Amino acid sequence: MRKNWKSYAIGTMVASSLALAGCSSNSGASGGAEPAASTSSAVKASGFPIVDQPIKLKMFTRTAPVNGPFKDMPVFQEYEKMSNVQVEFTEAPTDGFQEKKNLLFASNELPDALYRSGLSQLEATRYGAAGQLIPLENLIDQYAPNLKQLMDQYPEIRAGITTPEGHIYAIPGIVTLDAARTDKKWINQAWLKKLNLKMPETTDDLYNVLVAFRDQDPNGNGKKDELPMTARAPVAGQGLPILAMMSGSFGLDLQFGYNINLENDKVNIWMGNDRNKEMLMYLNKLYKEKLLDPEMFSQKEADYLAKQGSGNTGFFFDQTNNNFLSIQDQYTGIAPLKGPHGDQLQSQGAPVARDFGAFAITSVNKYPEVTMRWIDYFYSDEGSTLLRFGREGENYEVKDGIPYYTKAFIDSGNQSKLTPYAGGGAPHLISEKVASFINPPQVQEAQKKLDPFMPKVRYAAPMFDEATAQKVNILRNDLDKYYEEQSTKFIAGALSFDKWDEFQATLKKLKIDELQQIYQDAYDKMKK
Amino acid sequence: MESVQPKAAAAATVSRKRQGSGLLRRMAKRYDLYLMLLLPIAWYLIFNYGPLYGLQIAFKNFNPGKGIAGSEWVGFEHFQRFFESYYFKRLLWNTLSINLFSLLIAFPVPILLALIVNELRSKSFGKWLQNITFIPHFMSVVVIVGILSVFLSPSTGPVNKLIEWLGGEPVRFMESVGWFKTIFISSNIWQNMGWQSIIYIAALSGVNPQLYEAAKMDGASRLRRIWHVSLPGIVPVIVILLILDIGHFMDVGFEKILLMQNNLNLETSDVISTFVYTTGILKGEYSYTAAIGLFNSLINLTLLLLVNRFARKTAETSLW
Repeated sequence: MRKNWKSYAIGTMVASSLALAGCSSNSGASGGAEPAASTSSAVKASGFPIVDQPIKLKMFTRTAPVNGPFKDMPVFQEYEKMSNVQVEFTEAPTDGFQEKKNLLFASNELPDALYRSGLSQLEATRYGAAGQLIPLENLIDQYAPNLKQLMDQYPEIRAGITTPEGHIYAIPGIVTLDAARTDKKWINQAWLKKLNLKMPETTDDLYNVLVAFRDQDPNGNGKKDELPMTARAPVAGQGLPILAMMSGSFGLDLQFGYNINLENDKVNIWMGNDRNKEMLMYLNKLYKEKLLDPEMFSQKEADYLAKQGSGNTGFFFDQTNNNFLSIQDQYTGIAPLKGPHGDQLQSQGAPVARDFGAFAITSVNKYPEVTMRWIDYFYSDEGSTLLRFGREGENYEVKDGIPYYTKAFIDSGNQSKLTPYAGGGAPHLISEKVASFINPPQVQEAQKKLDPFMPKVRYAAPMFDEATAQKVNILRNDLDKYYEEQSTKFIAGALSFDKWDEFQATLKKLKIDELQQIYQDAYDKMKK
Repeated sequence: MESVQPKAAAAATVSRKRQGSGLLRRMAKRYDLYLMLLLPIAWYLIFNYGPLYGLQIAFKNFNPGKGIAGSEWVGFEHFQRFFESYYFKRLLWNTLSINLFSLLIAFPVPILLALIVNELRSKSFGKWLQNITFIPHFMSVVVIVGILSVFLSPSTGPVNKLIEWLGGEPVRFMESVGWFKTIFISSNIWQNMGWQSIIYIAALSGVNPQLYEAAKMDGASRLRRIWHVSLPGIVPVIVILLILDIGHFMDVGFEKILLMQNNLNLETSDVISTFVYTTGILKGEYSYTAAIGLFNSLINLTLLLLVNRFARKTAETSLW
């Protein structure tokens, strides 16, 4: 109780960095306008190198646990030679990245750009309006032909990243490959075969299959040690993954990156709906009967991945088969399950602009044009191939016009260390042409099962103006926290469904209607 | 704890005598000592008083681009938002109750331990006991929480194995609303009692041995001697440590709570400091959480003043 140096340290850090920001604010804010004029002559309009005289850029980036240092990655080594732009990365591990990123802005000690920065809509708007991030729309028009072409091809990208004032403060990772935008539903077909069960098609089928997995010893070791079903653990503020995976079976969609159904141009936040109650009751039944992983709410990501690879799990969700490659034949992807009211929808899925806020340029950057040209390359087939696959011959070979990792390189186990895409969220294009690793035949097949049930349009979270964004943030802070906590309790049986009315009343008290209206307005504006 | 001992000692000397004439002359004479004082003063100014400047963002809509001075004033808006927040009551209650229970339960334990060590005839056993209770203090919080989850795991943890062996149902300790505070406080005791008892043991060794002998002559039993000689001997230390503890009343073990938190125990584990971290640092709401932090500190200050006054009146010992 007397020991809490860390909270002191953080408090002091924030406060003192704020104090510093106070002193240096003038220089920071005024820096926004001038660089555009002063150095535009240095950049070449097209071709490589981007600049004749080498320049240096500082970028802040997130590294996933599987990544190695960015300076060792072939893509950046090669690209530096090509472009004459030397990038110095400040790396922050995924754990604590959010904290470091926010402190960077709060203290106004900005890098030239943020790479793989995972900015949220609110952050982009807030720091953009504050002048810390510069508007990119004109730069994109002039210096980013690849990105511009993608934005013309998929109009929803531009809609999803432009603020109501018409500014773009951050550019996304773009995923034109359907299979990379949604988790598949993997079921243990070896167990199904052994127990002579047919593929589950409805939620009731699934229940029966899971019961059989639990009781009939499909792994044949004589012990009741099978894990019928598991899912990723929730991350605070980002919802429960298991709900996203199951909600489609109960007619609950996830539009605008939130718990929203769209029916006849009406926005409906469904957290208090009876359908949601049915879903939670179903999951509660699974949990109570030990069909659902009891560690689901507290396990670490590594535990979850280990369970995939163990072969002792009956049913789980993931985008690829990377994590259980060695036993991939045991599993197969299945279609979304048909729910009690006949709903069958793959509700979990990202828009084409999958990773919002993957890249942004700050006001201290002296070469915004160069920076824009630098990043634009990765939105081309050639650039994204370099990013994902490294050097031809050494890391990959081309078969039928599509790059594949060489077997030697995959076997070396170094693949995730040498590419910044491993771990997700990197600003680049993921298309059919560069997806051989994330989209092997088994994953393609699983995706085909989902395809008929994907929603026609997937709207990304809307961009609000700063005041509205702040309001949404305040409302969602309390609402999301409440919803996540109560859903977890409903599923785990720590809260009885007798309390459902109280739950609904509290949602009302936390102003769910006001939030719904804001989303409705945003939708109406978008439709016009 | 580390900082507590020098503070306590300093407080004692300061309270003795303060006024005097020719302060400057005496300062000039002992200039070397005052030079040494410069460093700590600078440290306090830079790291403890300097940041106070930033506190004003609690009354502003802080915008990092405009800086602290440039952001607009909004008065008590953020405080109001916090007081009206759905989570206000829960945060306040959790923060207060965890501290209150810690104070009631965890505070006396090191005193008891010190008394036991002091009474032990076998000095080597006393040393051994001290060392054993001492070691957990040096483990990092992450390791401690790891140990807790391993021991309390419902499927493989030894505690639940024992419960099952005795015929009970395994308990999901780490994911239960009811168990959180118990686990948190008792593991705190386990971790800190040895370390915290040092200062009491030191104080006990300062009690005049003649008092014990006199008590023995008068036929006082061992318990009587503890009650009438040992305890009164360390009361000033106890009171001062108590006051210092209360000064930190609202700062619970932030790291440890954060590590132990999950959706299922949030109802009892959500405290002001973790709330400040999750909304302030992770979501970038600096003004709002600065207001919450300020509110937290104000409660601390009020409690400290009250307890200090109370201690001065009743136990005649106080910080100032």
